[in-house]
Amino acid sequence: MITRYKTGLASALLALVVASPTLAGDPIRSIELFTRPQASQPQEFQSAQLIAQEWRKLGLDVEVKVMPWEQMADVVWYQRDKWDVTAWQMVGRPERSDPDEIVYNLFHSTTAEKGYNFIGYTNPEYDAVVEAQRVEIDPDKRKELIHKAQEILAADQPNMMLVHPKSTFAFDKTVWKPDSVVNQSGIGIRNTWTFMSLEPQGEQKDIIVNSGDNVQGINPLWISGGVDSWIFELVYDRLARVGPDGLPKPWAAESIEFSDDKTVVVKLRSGMEWHDGKPVTAEDVKFSYEAVVTGEAPMYAPFASNIETVEISDDSTLVFKLKNPSASFVTSSLAKINLIPKHVWEPIIEDLKTKETNAESIQEDVPIGSGPFKFERWLTNEEIVLSANKDHFNAPNADRWILRIVPNVEAALGMLRSGEINFMGEFTGDPQVLLDAAEQDGDLEVVSTIDIGFRYIAFNARRAPFDDPAFRNALSRAVDRRLIVKAAFKGFAEASNSVVSPALGFWHDASVVEDLTTGADLAKKILEDAGYTLEDGKLHYPGDGKEELAE
Amino acid sequence: MSHLKAAASRTLQLAFVLWAVVTMLFLMFRLMPGNPLAAYIDPTFTEEQQQALMAQFGLNEPLWKQYLIYLGNLLQGELGQSFRYREPVAERIMTLLPNTLILTFSSLIIAYAFGIIAGAWLAWRRGALVEKTAIPLVLTTRAMPEFWLGMVLLAIFSFWLGWFPAGGTRPAGANYDSLFALYTSSDFLTYLALPALTLAIYSQGLPLLLMRSNMLDVMKEDFVTMARIKGLSNWTVVVRHAARNALLPVMTSFAIAVGYQLQGNVVVETVFSWPGLGRELVNAVSNSDYPLAQGAFLMIAVVVILMNLIADLLYALLDPRVSHA
Repeated sequence: MITRYKTGLASALLALVVASPTLAGDPIRSIELFTRPQASQPQEFQSAQLIAQEWRKLGLDVEVKVMPWEQMADVVWYQRDKWDVTAWQMVGRPERSDPDEIVYNLFHSTTAEKGYNFIGYTNPEYDAVVEAQRVEIDPDKRKELIHKAQEILAADQPNMMLVHPKSTFAFDKTVWKPDSVVNQSGIGIRNTWTFMSLEPQGEQKDIIVNSGDNVQGINPLWISGGVDSWIFELVYDRLARVGPDGLPKPWAAESIEFSDDKTVVVKLRSGMEWHDGKPVTAEDVKFSYEAVVTGEAPMYAPFASNIETVEISDDSTLVFKLKNPSASFVTSSLAKINLIPKHVWEPIIEDLKTKETNAESIQEDVPIGSGPFKFERWLTNEEIVLSANKDHFNAPNADRWILRIVPNVEAALGMLRSGEINFMGEFTGDPQVLLDAAEQDGDLEVVSTIDIGFRYIAFNARRAPFDDPAFRNALSRAVDRRLIVKAAFKGFAEASNSVVSPALGFWHDASVVEDLTTGADLAKKILEDAGYTLEDGKLHYPGDGKEELAE
Repeated sequence: MSHLKAAASRTLQLAFVLWAVVTMLFLMFRLMPGNPLAAYIDPTFTEEQQQALMAQFGLNEPLWKQYLIYLGNLLQGELGQSFRYREPVAERIMTLLPNTLILTFSSLIIAYAFGIIAGAWLAWRRGALVEKTAIPLVLTTRAMPEFWLGMVLLAIFSFWLGWFPAGGTRPAGANYDSLFALYTSSDFLTYLALPALTLAIYSQGLPLLLMRSNMLDVMKEDFVTMARIKGLSNWTVVVRHAARNALLPVMTSFAIAVGYQLQGNVVVETVFSWPGLGRELVNAVSNSDYPLAQGAFLMIAVVVILMNLIADLLYALLDPRVSHA
């Protein structure tokens, strides 16, 4: 309180001393735009340069500040009032096929202080809409609310959405039948469905996939690296899985039904077995949901915190009682929490309760799940070998799934051509290089699809002039997204104006993207209408607006 | 008595160097800008989780206290738990160390065997055309960046000719009962060939040039002239008299080269997807995984220090004129 009063007093005094005869406010300070380095994030870096160029045309002084991720995240995340504008990205994950996590956590005012709303956006109308969609069970009514949320964001422009990148993968079509590859909406062809359905053309029946990153752990109670999730999604089953269309469907459950808006009845599929031969029981399922809220699996806890009780009504039926109605429950809880064998994990969890560490530091020698692939071997930083679980209700067509860790992306491409790998699960290089290689080779098929994830520029609403929607709108509309798509992403992206990707066809509001007209003149007009003035080529605050953050 | 004193002072020196390395490692990572937790930021990450993570890794303690805990743990041989992998650092390092050592030593042995023979031969052929062309060539290999050399070898021998696989230590899905079974298999040799060759080409310059210049010096010495006057054959003069003496500094340089080689491994292990300590080091640094990065650096530092000690001792052993005094 005291400091606020002091700064208020100081600026009032300052205003008295430097009161200028004109009506215009102070010139806007030099603005810092954060981006990660070109070497690690070429598209982001290039986008930031282009955007800075466009903003300078409006009379802004823009400085692009390049810093490594740790440093950037440290300022943006932990010193929330110390930055102006930053490039940022959200990655696509199957559970983000439900828009709730993105529309709620990124913009709801309760997450502004410490959570993911690091931009400090607050809008009571928006809060109300995203709260309402959370408890709206009727999909069509919920869709209207999700659209409404997208429209509010488009009007307010708390972030400047840039693009939804395309994920590009490739495989050897002489090894795998092309029509056995499944595209999961918003995720691409590297997904659990593909690995289960890939059909061999000939002798080679091992799926050999590459990853640039090391595997951190194969642990059903720890959300670790992205690569790890490829593995545990194959080893562990869940009651539901997000389907190729982006909508959840029953998996280890035969059926999932809402008997009222807070009661979900789950019928378990019969005849399932753990990889050690023991049957999967309703007790195991109940245990899986209770284990994550013991405090030993903190990263999974949020996905089960809305569950009041899990009751077993007969050998194959479970009743989930929820604390609050939740529209995304099937995607965010039932399709998220791994089913784990009680006989393996109960003793471990009991033991952990007496210790400081939690379940995240546990690595089983042989992880036991009930999924379509069984764990065979893990060689540190080299490879993971899984073998097909032929007894599974959706048994894979391939024999083994082998993950090779290949940090050198050029080598990965060479390996795909030589057959050392036959499915490119990750390619961080220029997608055009991959397309050219496929054309030369003839045996490769490359598939590019729109991602759920997105790239954007975040405005810090805590700091003027970014607290002004008109100013943010002008900045956003100053940049033609096609320029970003072509120049920074070389065409491997789609222009965006919504956090809900077009890959999520049901939820995406196409009109907000179509309505985003851009151009320097338009941006200047918006600024002018909002009272900003240009003097000697420098943009000034409207009215008697003061610059309180200049250095 | 003087031997004992010398040994004691050596040990003290070693302990001091180790302490300095350990302290520098501690400060280096903590003074780097950025927060190690930034690697785990996620929309579902709550404040409590962040605090719990900080506490779990002792990051909520003041720096001096973290330092004391770190030193105390080290004295007990405890390297801590990796942030990223949530497993003991020592275990991880011990898994990866054999892969790095076999790559390092096999490439160095090739480099030294070649370097010594070629160096002696070039000294013998001093002034001939072959020497005039060979020396610039050797200097060129010294100047080539290792990642570039590695990529060129990959492009030629793996992608173009298809003679060698492009990465890893074994064919996909192949199982071996033990590390010994793997290292003695013929498959392993095909995987080792390119990374070892890259490192060997990079490293042969030092022994070659050293051997050559030593030979040139030795050949001018009186005992060589004496040997010639005695009418001994060229072979006897060069190999039994000159080369034996010229070899001394080259052999001790081997020990020091191991240290240099470990640095080179960082690059080569990444190019050839070799699951070694060097690649882990890069990963740990770029992921702000302090405990793992410290552990890996420390391991490499210990090997270098040990090798230096061996070099000193070896010298004294091979040439009794060098004393510890």
